[in-house]
Amino acid sequence: MKSRTLLAIPALAAAFALSVVGCSSGTGSPGGGGTAGGAELVLGIVQEPASWDPAQAHVGHRLQPFQAAYDTLILREPDGAYSPMLATKWGYTDDKGMTFSLDLRTDVTFSDGEKFNAAAVVANLEHFKTDNGPQAAQAAAIGSVKAIDDDTVEIQLAKPDPALEYYLSQALGLMGSPKALGSDAIDRTPVGTGPYVMVADQSVVGSQYVFTAREGYWNPQLQKFGKITLKLLADVTSRVNAITSGEVQATLLDPTTVQQAEASGLTKLAYPTDWQGLLLMDRAGKLNKALGDVRVRQAINYALDRETMLKSLGGGFGEVTSQVFGPASTAYVPELDTHYTFDKAKAKQLLADAGYADGLEIEMPVLTPGFETLMTMVTQQLADVGITVKQTSVPGADYQGLLGQGKFAAAAFNIFQGPSWVASKLLLSTDGLYNPFDSATPELTKQLDALQANGEDKAAAQAINTYVTENAWFAPWFRPSQLYFYDAKKLTVVPQTQQAVPSIYNYAPVA
Amino acid sequence: MLFMILRRIGSGVVVLVTVACLTFVLLYASSSNIARNILGDQATPEALAAKEAELGLDQPLLTRLADWWAHALRGDFGRSWFTNEQVFSAIASRLPVTLVMVFASIILIALVAAVLGMLAAVRRGWVDRLVQIGAVLGSALPGFIIGVFLVWVFAIQLRLFPPISKITPNAGLNLWVLSLTLPVIALVINGVASAAQQIRSAFIRQLELDYVRTLRSRGITEREILFRHVLRSAAPAGLTVLSLQFISLLGGVVIIESIFAIAGMGRLAVEATTKSDLPLVMGVVVYTVVIVIVVNLLVDILNGWLNPKVRVS
Repeated sequence: MKSRTLLAIPALAAAFALSVVGCSSGTGSPGGGGTAGGAELVLGIVQEPASWDPAQAHVGHRLQPFQAAYDTLILREPDGAYSPMLATKWGYTDDKGMTFSLDLRTDVTFSDGEKFNAAAVVANLEHFKTDNGPQAAQAAAIGSVKAIDDDTVEIQLAKPDPALEYYLSQALGLMGSPKALGSDAIDRTPVGTGPYVMVADQSVVGSQYVFTAREGYWNPQLQKFGKITLKLLADVTSRVNAITSGEVQATLLDPTTVQQAEASGLTKLAYPTDWQGLLLMDRAGKLNKALGDVRVRQAINYALDRETMLKSLGGGFGEVTSQVFGPASTAYVPELDTHYTFDKAKAKQLLADAGYADGLEIEMPVLTPGFETLMTMVTQQLADVGITVKQTSVPGADYQGLLGQGKFAAAAFNIFQGPSWVASKLLLSTDGLYNPFDSATPELTKQLDALQANGEDKAAAQAINTYVTENAWFAPWFRPSQLYFYDAKKLTVVPQTQQAVPSIYNYAPVA
Repeated sequence: MLFMILRRIGSGVVVLVTVACLTFVLLYASSSNIARNILGDQATPEALAAKEAELGLDQPLLTRLADWWAHALRGDFGRSWFTNEQVFSAIASRLPVTLVMVFASIILIALVAAVLGMLAAVRRGWVDRLVQIGAVLGSALPGFIIGVFLVWVFAIQLRLFPPISKITPNAGLNLWVLSLTLPVIALVINGVASAAQQIRSAFIRQLELDYVRTLRSRGITEREILFRHVLRSAAPAGLTVLSLQFISLLGGVVIIESIFAIAGMGRLAVEATTKSDLPLVMGVVVYTVVIVIVVNLLVDILNGWLNPKVRVS
């Protein structure tokens, strides 16, 4: 009787629901479909924008939605190359890399009818500088911006910033209508020059955002869909269920859901954007004397079994590495991926040479919930060579803050692998969050200065990378793959270098 | 009766004020890393200080508490620090779907658990054993496993229901029913399991009392005894069980809403808490306490109506 009752409940509910569907207008068919004006793109997104003000835009997950409604001054191609977008030409006009000029398109309007011109760019860059958004640091080097004429803008830098071109293809380059900037309205509804406009009455915070193709958009080649729906699916279980049932056409999954997605015939893209490992931050031994010795930091690197960690923590999806710079950056040196190999004997010898043959203790935070398993693994592997990890639970909301305040000598984390200068600023600069003890040496500072003066200086970038790897400023484990799945019967998708999810322009309907 | 209601409302207000103040103090006392959490790893110390000033985090705790109450009493709970959405709007847009889910579940739990509990108590024997085994199994199965199983069978294999919510601002009744059927079933399976067991016990206790024997000796039919006398006497215990179920469902929806991507109160609460979105957490806490107080009040009124002794006490 029990089993009958249990079976009857869903069966009755199903019959009821089917009868309702039978009476309906049929708007709820799973899988969606095309619109009258073109194909429909339905994506499962992991995060949503905090505000639609372009000055509040972010990177990765929280940049993609902005690209539907906003153009950037410079377009970043999937391989990282830069192409014209709202700016047709750009570059430094002086030898010192302090004056940057942009020529602008003259045939572009915002979705509220305002004209896009040099004054609009000035208004946007000044707003970005003062609105204190999550990427405000992208404008930190900008001293002033002025309109030379209606279609030319000149940016005067207060200090060199070799990543300026990159930033102008990211959050800093998003252009909103000057009339709307700073208003409450743009927090809720984007007003840009982009290929799509938001359908406000179908868009709900915490649920979904709907866009339709904007009529008269200046670049139809980038406007590949009639409609775009971004469904917020924060939980990976809901994302895999949604894509395997056809409710969304593409989304980001994780190692635990790969098998289910592949069994459903979905196409996988695997590409790295982050590195995961230990930040050995206290390089002068202020909090933990032992970490001030390079041999101890190197011993930690040799004690880690990266292959096992990749299999256990990343499901085998990714690449083991000993360097913090990624293959897409100029600082990348292929040989450094294997600079440290798993060698317990060598680790013990280095510890003995440093005077820690009897072991040592390091306190590390455990991001809770989330890092319990990986910290258990780190603790076990380091214990095998005589290093005791004292774990301290830290809530996720406090983790970054406590690292930045120098509360821990070492910590595990997952960090974005951006362009050389962007990554260097974050990890190595004395202003960087992940260098809370202001570690610096004359040799490294010289190379960082060279890279800041000339972002194309590959030798300086690689010298920086080699220096911090050899001196074990970090103990990276691997570059985990982003596992992005899509329905190849409906879409083509190209991954975007150094970005967690593809740019909105990288999706196209199958002909 | 009126005095009892007024007394319950009065104690409810005291509970609300106490919980709100304690939550505020606990949350805001540990809010030193909020600005970093909002602005991310690129933010400079100046940007962090500006953000803290913007959020009022540079003010003394008591000043912030007084400010929060001054606004809250006018119905202004502020804006989410992470989505910039008005807290009131955020709750108002998510509350309906959660309440529909919880009310539908509690009604079904009440009906199914009452039938199963009564059957087990009256028939005993193999029926009773089946209900008890089912109750143990139902309680042992975590809600998320039931949810994932239902999605796999009915949404992915049979394609009868959407695996994620299709409730949008313009959604019709059909989409509400389609979207909430599986989540409600998942909640009901867990809820029925424990409620049936307790309703069964309440019935058995009543059936063993002297007044039932007296009624039987007077030749009154079993049906009349069961539905006119025992049901009424056992109802207060059942109501208490259901009121507790209702409150636990408010917590149970957290996982179910995540699995089915339902933009409801459970997900809102989890996301707000994870990010330390304090204005939103405060709004959710106030809403939850008010709901719990109202449900308890309604149960007290019903119990008073069913049992005069409650009114007197």
